[in-house]
Amino acid sequence: MEVSFKLNGVEIEDTFAEGFGMWGTRLIITAASRKWANTAAAEMTGFATSVIACDCEAGVEAEIPPEESLDGRPGTAVMVFGFSAKKLATALLNRLGQCVLTCPTTAVFNGLPEEMADAMIDVGKSVRFFGDGYQVKMRMGDGWEARQRFWRIPVMEGEFLVEEKVGAKKAVAGGNFLVMGETEAATLEASERAIEAIHSVPYVITPFPGGLCRSGSKVGSTYAFLRASTNTPFCPAIKHSLKDSQVPEGVNSVLEVILNGLDEPSVKKAMGVGIEAATKVEGVKWITAVNFGGKLGKYQLHLKDCVGGS
Amino acid sequence: MKKLILVPKEVTAIPVEAEVISPTVIAGRTLDEVQRLNVYQGKVKLTLADHFDVTGEVAETPAEQIIVVDGDAPHVKYMGAAMDAGRLVVKGDAGMHTGSQMAGGELTVEGSAADWAGAEMKGGVLRIDGDARHLLGAAYRGSSEGMTGGCIVVGGGVGSEAASFMRRGMIVVKGDTAPFTGVHMNGGEILVFGRAGKRLGAQAKGNGGFMACFGGVEELLPTYMYDTTYSPTFMRLYLRQLAETLNVEEALRYLDKPLKRYRGDLAVGGNAEILIAEP
Repeated sequence: MEVSFKLNGVEIEDTFAEGFGMWGTRLIITAASRKWANTAAAEMTGFATSVIACDCEAGVEAEIPPEESLDGRPGTAVMVFGFSAKKLATALLNRLGQCVLTCPTTAVFNGLPEEMADAMIDVGKSVRFFGDGYQVKMRMGDGWEARQRFWRIPVMEGEFLVEEKVGAKKAVAGGNFLVMGETEAATLEASERAIEAIHSVPYVITPFPGGLCRSGSKVGSTYAFLRASTNTPFCPAIKHSLKDSQVPEGVNSVLEVILNGLDEPSVKKAMGVGIEAATKVEGVKWITAVNFGGKLGKYQLHLKDCVGGS
Repeated sequence: MKKLILVPKEVTAIPVEAEVISPTVIAGRTLDEVQRLNVYQGKVKLTLADHFDVTGEVAETPAEQIIVVDGDAPHVKYMGAAMDAGRLVVKGDAGMHTGSQMAGGELTVEGSAADWAGAEMKGGVLRIDGDARHLLGAAYRGSSEGMTGGCIVVGGGVGSEAASFMRRGMIVVKGDTAPFTGVHMNGGEILVFGRAGKRLGAQAKGNGGFMACFGGVEELLPTYMYDTTYSPTFMRLYLRQLAETLNVEEALRYLDKPLKRYRGDLAVGGNAEILIAEP
């Protein structure tokens, strides 16, 4: 590894994370209590770590206090990413229908205003049919404020309220960095601090469990039937068995922080604050990032730029 | 914003038709031209200056124009009619058809307004701090659509047939309403914080329209069917909007109030909602 610079005594490799273009959206789920808003958000963003095997990538972006939500109830902002606007819409509708519509007391609002969006996904158009003809169209602000449209769908518990359209835009996925530590405990603590810092940046999510991935993958495998396999160069357990191991001396555990965001500056900012937070934990030795030589992804998110921008 | 001040010279027995008192008409003219704009008193053609002392500045565009009618003008009809931008403030009572067919901007009547205020309104905000008489925001006779957009906020009570044939938009009444509010309503929202009069929503078809009554209802038509008592989330959006955007602060008192939901008017196969807050 070639060291570029040190941050808080931790060596940062002069390399880049390779980000991919995806479509992203942001929703606000509100409910009668924080518990139910978070429950719906957790359900909706489940099994959505990577499009390698999931229909989308999704995560909780932030908790919204009641005074900032449209209906004055506790809310949770979630973001969902798909490879195309169409795939995103499909995943979004499935998840809204199965995970949020079903969850007691919830309502769904657009979290990406039209002026920020590249397209508007008409979720209400489809979800409304669940009302079986008894759904009610609701308009607000006709002719005197920015017009908003919603659908009120009768459900056994009461009514499900959903905004008709949600914003979607071309976004950035695959922002990442590797936290390499002396011990498993130090690496985990540093990574957790990184995630905490990342969540202070708006419009960014970390779709993996707790924001972290311990089983980063490389393209290909020794087995012909497998397209991806464990990222052997970064597995400390085989660092001396593997000829091209990239695990530095003194490193015994590696975790990957993976993040998606609505735009490149947000992702870079989040990577920067995450790296900085991780380097403040004793026992962290190295930070690097995963890329494919710039051959696959549209974005090259250089760690030096990210830290400089944080 | 440039302010033009019109001081009524006297309250006449014969009404004055002055649809020229509108930012849309006045902007872009000279003060002299404004003073010579035509108004009618009966069949007599007069000028604005015959009935008002006209002073102040005229803006280039309607959006930059404020007109202040500085005094009672209950005899002046059509003020702000068809205005589409800017502001008009009447510092007293206003005559019939005030803000009728307005499409944008903000019109404030600090006193009360006579019949047909905001009739067939399309957009903008009409505030009446006092009472509004009959046919507020209504459709003109023979027309199939009343309000199609915009918002009317009345500080006092309103007369009969308010919001007749309403299609879209919102009417908020802090006081009581007379009979036939929302008659033939086919969309839009009516929120009444006083007591709603008889025959509320008669022959209303629905189309997403609702009448929310927070101060009770005098008598409900038998052609409205009770469904349930609940606290729908959508009402929270309206109540918060009223408090935050339109300064109707009493709205927040009803955020968590259960509402009785009635659906009708079944006499016309309607699907409109009447929501009545529990006492």
